[in-house]
This record gives sequence, C-alpha cells and structure tokens, in this order.
Amino acid sequence: MNPLFDPAEMEAIRLSLKVAGLAVVVCLPPGVFFAWVLSRLSFPGKTLVDAVVHLPLVLPPVVMGYMLLLLLGRQGLLGGWLDRALGIHVAFTWKGAVVAAVVMALPLMIRAVRQSFDEIDRGLEAAAGTLGAGPWRIFATITLPLAAPGLLTGSLLAFARSLGEFGATITFVSNIPGETRTIPLAIYNLTQVRGGEGPALKLCLVAVAISIASLLLSETLSRRAAKIIRG
Amino acid sequence: MKRKTILALLVCCAVWAFGLWPLQAAEPAKVLVFAAASTTNAVTDICALFNSRGTARAVASFASSSTLAKQIERGAPADVFISANVQWMDYLVEKKLIDPASRMDMLKNRIVLIAPVSSSITAVNMAPPFDLPGLLAGGKLAMGDPDHVPAGIYGKKALMSLGVWPQVEPMVARARDVRAALAWVERGECPLGVVYATDAGISSGVKVVGRFPESTHPPIQYPIALVAGRTTPAVQAFYDLLRSKEAKAIFEKYGFGLTAP
Repeated sequence: MNPLFDPAEMEAIRLSLKVAGLAVVVCLPPGVFFAWVLSRLSFPGKTLVDAVVHLPLVLPPVVMGYMLLLLLGRQGLLGGWLDRALGIHVAFTWKGAVVAAVVMALPLMIRAVRQSFDEIDRGLEAAAGTLGAGPWRIFATITLPLAAPGLLTGSLLAFARSLGEFGATITFVSNIPGETRTIPLAIYNLTQVRGGEGPALKLCLVAVAISIASLLLSETLSRRAAKIIRG
Repeated sequence: MKRKTILALLVCCAVWAFGLWPLQAAEPAKVLVFAAASTTNAVTDICALFNSRGTARAVASFASSSTLAKQIERGAPADVFISANVQWMDYLVEKKLIDPASRMDMLKNRIVLIAPVSSSITAVNMAPPFDLPGLLAGGKLAMGDPDHVPAGIYGKKALMSLGVWPQVEPMVARARDVRAALAWVERGECPLGVVYATDAGISSGVKVVGRFPESTHPPIQYPIALVAGRTTPAVQAFYDLLRSKEAKAIFEKYGFGLTAP
C-alpha cells in the first residue's frame, strides 16, 4: 500500500498524467501544421484562421466543453457518426478528457511553435534549397530542428494547460472516478465534501510538484537544444 | 508638451473615477439568497415577486447545496440558505453559521428516473429485480455526484435499497448539480437519469419512467434558514414572504410538496 496517497488519489494522479501526456502528443502534429501555415503562408482569410485557432484561449472553458458535447456527444454531429461508424464513444470517457485537453492546449502549442518558426533565418532554408533539398527535406532537417526550443516550450505549455483543465472537462465528460476524474476534478470534489480539505491540499501540492518538475525539465532541455543549435 | 501630458493624465484619471462612480452609489437594501439548484425556477419567481414590491432587492445564487454550504462556511455574504438536504443545513448549524430559530422544513420532493422524450423506455418497475444496467445498454446514468450533490446522495441510497448500486456505480455520469444531470438526459447524451420530480416537471425534453418508492431513501426535505448575524428588515421581509401563501403556491406550481406547518 502506498502510505502517502489512497488508491483514489493515485488514480487521479495517474489519470492526469496520462491525459496530459497524450494531449501533448496529439497536439504536436496539428500544432506544428497550424504554426507553419500561420508563420509561412499568406492567404486570404488568414486573420480568420488565426482568430479561430485562438478561440479556446479566450472563450470560457465551460463554453468549449458545451460545444464539444454538442459536437462529439452521442447525439452530436460528429459524435453520432463516430458512434455508428466506428463504435467510438468520446463523451463521458477518458478519451473525451484528452479531446478537451487538446482543444484547450492547442492554441498555446501553436503560439510557441509559430514564434520559433518566425525566428528562423530563412537564408538557411534557402541555402538547403539551392543545395538540392526538396521542401519536405528542408522542413525535416532544417526548419523543425531549429524550432526545437519552440516545440519544447509549446509541449510544456500544452502539458501544463492539460493538467489544469477543469471547466471543459467537467462539462464534456463529467467527473467519473477512474475514468475522467483528473487532479483538478478530484480537488473540486474534495472541496465539496466534509473533511476533504486535507486531501484536497495534498493534491494541490502534487499539482504544484508536477508543474515545477515539468518546468525544470523543459528549461533544461531547451537550454541544451539552444546550445546544439548555436553549435 | 509637458503640460499636455499632465492634462492627458488628468483626463484619464477623471474617466477612471467616473467609471468607478457606480461602485460608490448607495445601493438599495439587498437580500442574497443561496438556494439549491433544484429550486431554481421557484426561487427565481419568488425573488421576482419580492422585487416587484419594491422595498428591497433579492438576488439568488444557485448551485449544489454542498457548494453553497461550503461557500457560506468561507464567509460568502449570503442571507438566506435553502438546502436540498438536511445534512448540509446541519453542517452549517454545527458551525454556528445559521440562526437555528429561523430554520423551517417546509418543502418536500421526490426522486424519479427519467429518460429523453424520444426514448423507447416507457415504464420501469422500480422494485428488485431492477435491471438498470440492461436498460442503460452501455450508456451512462446521469445523476448528481453521489459524493456530495444531494440529489445524487438520495439517488445512490435508493439504488442501494433496490440492490443495483454496485453494478451501476461505474456507469454513473456524475454531474456537479442536479440540473446538469437533467441537461445530459434532455440532450440524449445519457439514456437515463436520476433527478427530482420537480426537475423532470420543468423539462419538456424528458419523461418520467419511474418514481423511486419513498421507502427506498431518506425523506427529501429542503430546510430553509437565515444565515446567522445577517438579519436586516429586508431579509426578514424575504423570509416572511417565503412562508406566505403566495410563495407556497409558487413552490406547489413547480411540483414541490409542502409539509403542514
């Protein structure tokens, strides 16, 4: 038996790490794609794309959660199709918690990656081009490695945002122990019951510890990345 | 140049001060009511009635009784507390935050099993053997969080009496308050839900498919009381209105039962 945490608390911690970790992984490809589009292309309607991509950052999380429920619930446009065609249920499951975290974290990922794309010396990409590299090769061997610090920062921000996600999660996937009750939801529940203050405080400290650990890790990694890039 | 900067600063200060002016203006006497989410419609109507009389203004904040009790404990400026269960009122009484003399248990309610209007489920026999997992058919049972939301606590007790709680527990979608559970069933996201009879009554999107026998759970009472040390003439007037015939008619209109005074 773990002397520090009871099984329900361990479950919340494990679930939080799983949801936040997966959310970062899922966020990376679309994050890099949108960051590249917004950094390198100019096209009509770019401002609109920019605004839509940033919506989750400014809308109340409850609104995002409700919109996700409307869209991905069993009766929702996309959720109904997922249910019938693939038998996938997102609402009220941990997968839905990942979806909520991804939606809330994506803008932060895009912002960080886009900034590092903006800072890259375009001359390096052009040089690779004159040496015969195709656009995919340039992207994979020049652009992406040079953007490593941005990718790290973006991943950290997305991880932290996912770890703290509450409003969209409780609205979209409820508060089911072992399924969707992550650390913030567990804390909320503990503050609602008698005698829950102590355990709630304990979980608050866990959240702080995880956040500080991931900050330190990302700081170390991005310093190392910057050193390698500068040569 | 310098003078212009000072002038601009002065204008800014003036605009700012003007913006803050309403905060300074004297407000009419106010009554803040903390009421359980299940009483939303009735208490909103009673506040409107109170406000139409013009002596003072009543506003209500609705949430789960547990949330409200915890907020009052932390010093929320509530004047009146309407709780959906006895325990949360007792909790505040123990903490000496409630004026015990003002406490009255006049409202009653029932819990029911609901389904979306479009559901093929019509009438459920609410007695063992009660095949709730079969009826859910892989879906979730929407109810207030049985850890702290009163409607969920009563629901859990009733399902325990009926012998299905152990099987059903993993299938429960836990809502922060009973109205959130109602909304999930209304939208068809959950095939069944446990809510108060009064919640089912106000929604056109759900139908009652079974009523939990009153013997399966403790009586559902809504204690009303004044928060200690906050009684003003306006608060007293609101309290008197809550006991009046008009208020009782409003509560009955929304399906609450009334205990004889």
